[in-house]
Amino acid sequence: MEKTSMFSIHEGKPIRCKAAVSRKPGEALVIEEIHVDPPQAYEVRIKIICTSLCHTDVSFSKIDSGPLARFPRILGHEAVGVIESIGEHVNGFQQGDIVLPVFHPHCEECRDCKSSKSNWCARFADDFLSNTRRYGMTSRFKDSFGEDIYHFLFVSSFSEYTVVDIAHLVKISPDIPVDKAALLSCGVSTGIGAAWKVANVEKGSTVAVFGLGAVGLAVGEGARLRGAGKIIGVDLNPEKFELGKKFGFTSFINPTLCGEKKISEVIKEMTGGGVDYSFECVGLPSLLTEAFSSTRTGSGKTVVLGIDKHLTPVSLGSFDLLRGRHVCGSLFGGLKPKLDIPILVDHYLKKELNLDSFITHELKFEEINKAFDLLVQGKSLRCILWMNK
Amino acid sequence: MDKTSFSSNEGKPIRCKAAICRKAGEALVIEDIHVDPPQAYEVRIKILCTSLCHTDLTFWKLDFGPISRFPRILGHEAVGVVESIGENVEGFKQGDVVLPVFHPYCEECKDCKSSKTNWCDRYAEDFISNTRRYGMASRFKDSSGEVIHHFLFVSSFSEYTVVDIAHLVKISPEIPVDKAALLSCGVSTGIGAAWKVANVEEGSTVAVFGLGAVGLAVAEGARLRGAAKIIGIDTNPDKFELGKKFGFTDFINPTLCGEKKISEVVKEMTEGGVDYSFECVGLASLLNEAFISTRMGTGKTVMLGMEKHAAPISLGSFDLLRGRNICGSLFGGLKSKLDIPILVDHYLKKELNLDSFITHELTFKEINKAFALLEEGKSLRCILWMDK
Repeated sequence: MEKTSMFSIHEGKPIRCKAAVSRKPGEALVIEEIHVDPPQAYEVRIKIICTSLCHTDVSFSKIDSGPLARFPRILGHEAVGVIESIGEHVNGFQQGDIVLPVFHPHCEECRDCKSSKSNWCARFADDFLSNTRRYGMTSRFKDSFGEDIYHFLFVSSFSEYTVVDIAHLVKISPDIPVDKAALLSCGVSTGIGAAWKVANVEKGSTVAVFGLGAVGLAVGEGARLRGAGKIIGVDLNPEKFELGKKFGFTSFINPTLCGEKKISEVIKEMTGGGVDYSFECVGLPSLLTEAFSSTRTGSGKTVVLGIDKHLTPVSLGSFDLLRGRHVCGSLFGGLKPKLDIPILVDHYLKKELNLDSFITHELKFEEINKAFDLLVQGKSLRCILWMNK
Repeated sequence: MDKTSFSSNEGKPIRCKAAICRKAGEALVIEDIHVDPPQAYEVRIKILCTSLCHTDLTFWKLDFGPISRFPRILGHEAVGVVESIGENVEGFKQGDVVLPVFHPYCEECKDCKSSKTNWCDRYAEDFISNTRRYGMASRFKDSSGEVIHHFLFVSSFSEYTVVDIAHLVKISPEIPVDKAALLSCGVSTGIGAAWKVANVEEGSTVAVFGLGAVGLAVAEGARLRGAAKIIGIDTNPDKFELGKKFGFTDFINPTLCGEKKISEVVKEMTEGGVDYSFECVGLASLLNEAFISTRMGTGKTVMLGMEKHAAPISLGSFDLLRGRNICGSLFGGLKSKLDIPILVDHYLKKELNLDSFITHELTFKEINKAFALLEEGKSLRCILWMDK
């Protein structure tokens, strides 16, 4: 990226650019002209290079009531960009750096960030409703009428430019192709992290993954790299099975073809009593109960990665739990973004990690609504949206 | 222990006394019974003393369902000495001091060989049969020749009982037998939960829901690991004074919390929640409180209580997604034959407080008084001594 005066022209001033704005629940996004304010202290303004669509974006575009429903809003949280300008007190980032904005915070100062036991960030992670991390409900976006536009998950990547708090930013090597890098800012990292850090899948273990979207397939990839003996994929869409083989899946279950049998019964039969690890990557409490029952009595571990929008409670059999099973949940696969994402980039550059197979479509930013359709119809895995160069 | 009195009964039934539960919730009756000699892989034991655990109370009252059986000899926390052994029994001989344990350890199955769990795949699923290897066969008959059901593979409310070797641990004869008996159930469960299941580390914060023997033992285990704060939660304030002996630093009485949930109080006391919480009562609603009492991102909850109504556990999905862990455990994750001798050793080195668990001592004939004491919340562990 050439460090021409093009960057410094806007430094300290608002930038006028295009963004895909979500104005009404369930409706197509509108490409509009917006203004992006300069970064304040601890913030960075980024030029987005490309962005991809994740199910969470789709879910939030449809929410029409409750505290999580906000309009107008700029969605998008899986992306890669280059730094255009930095605010005060920003160390470790400079103009021209290739960066990944990440929805999950890593402030590096709080008790949890300093602990190796979790990727929770106590200073920030509880509050995901504010617009900008440190400044509460203030926004850096205004539409052409001067009206505030809400941020989304501290990233808002469906825009040519965005402003991100440094707790949500990771500097990465410029060697990795940017479209592959973008995948690591959300779904794929979540899945690999879940297999490596949260479950700590060991060689020879058996794994069941419920839901073969990007997160579930990434769990499979992570389990494969750890040498898992058997990786079972569970999905209603049989087209996912062919794709799944690329990520290490050894067996598949289509619940619609199980007849009277429960998915957990089928899994127990396939594995002589249950898997060592199961992962719920859909966000359905009934499916979580199945994932839980699919694990081996006494030692089985279930990792919850998906969540349902109604926040329905999870129900577990008390005796099944008492006899020794484990259940845990995880955001962003237990990864600490600034430490772990560069490790994944490195694995990719050493050709140890398959990221290419996640990308099934590429479109231009203006075609963003087509990308939404493809995902909703189950026809795409990851669609890369390229911003104009 | 006189070996000639042992060998005179070898291979023959023994006539002795037992406390039989004939009807749910009614006083146990001390009767003469016959105890058959041990079959292959079994050992006949003379019980020295036995204690009462809430599980005995629960099953004493249970009057419906497949696990309700009469007549039955209850009791599963005890210490005894081997009277005679069956065929294929290795590692045990007459005169050995042993603990019968409800939780099996066959040493041969995939799970017994794994260090990840104390589940025993060969046996643990089936706790309804009378004798482990022989299904519904019983070694007990009453004076009319009628079969009496076993309980949890131990049945220690009897002068003699027959136990499968997968449920038997040989221990050092140096430990006072009444302290040893405690290690065959509740106290081991609590210490194991703190050490093995949760793996409590120095400086961590802990909350224990339910201050019975199991809960107090969790605290003892946490104390020995150097936990910085150990919060005890119980509706009976009498437990608080006793709790201090086991390392509790704070107490919460839920009846005095007003509008606040227990979890809110715990979070306030610990700036966001404890590192570990333990549910030692057996109530799904309390387990939920224990779950949200832990710190987001790292908190771990251990379920030790058996849900009284087999009610399912309900957890908030967001509470779970944000990084909390929950697991259950039987017998505190301990592998009996490996871990109980370690606990005996800790006691002998004066590192582990077992003495404070014993609040009462009675003779075997006074067993119904022991039941009353436990039900009324007046005792912790009552030792019942068999006649010598």
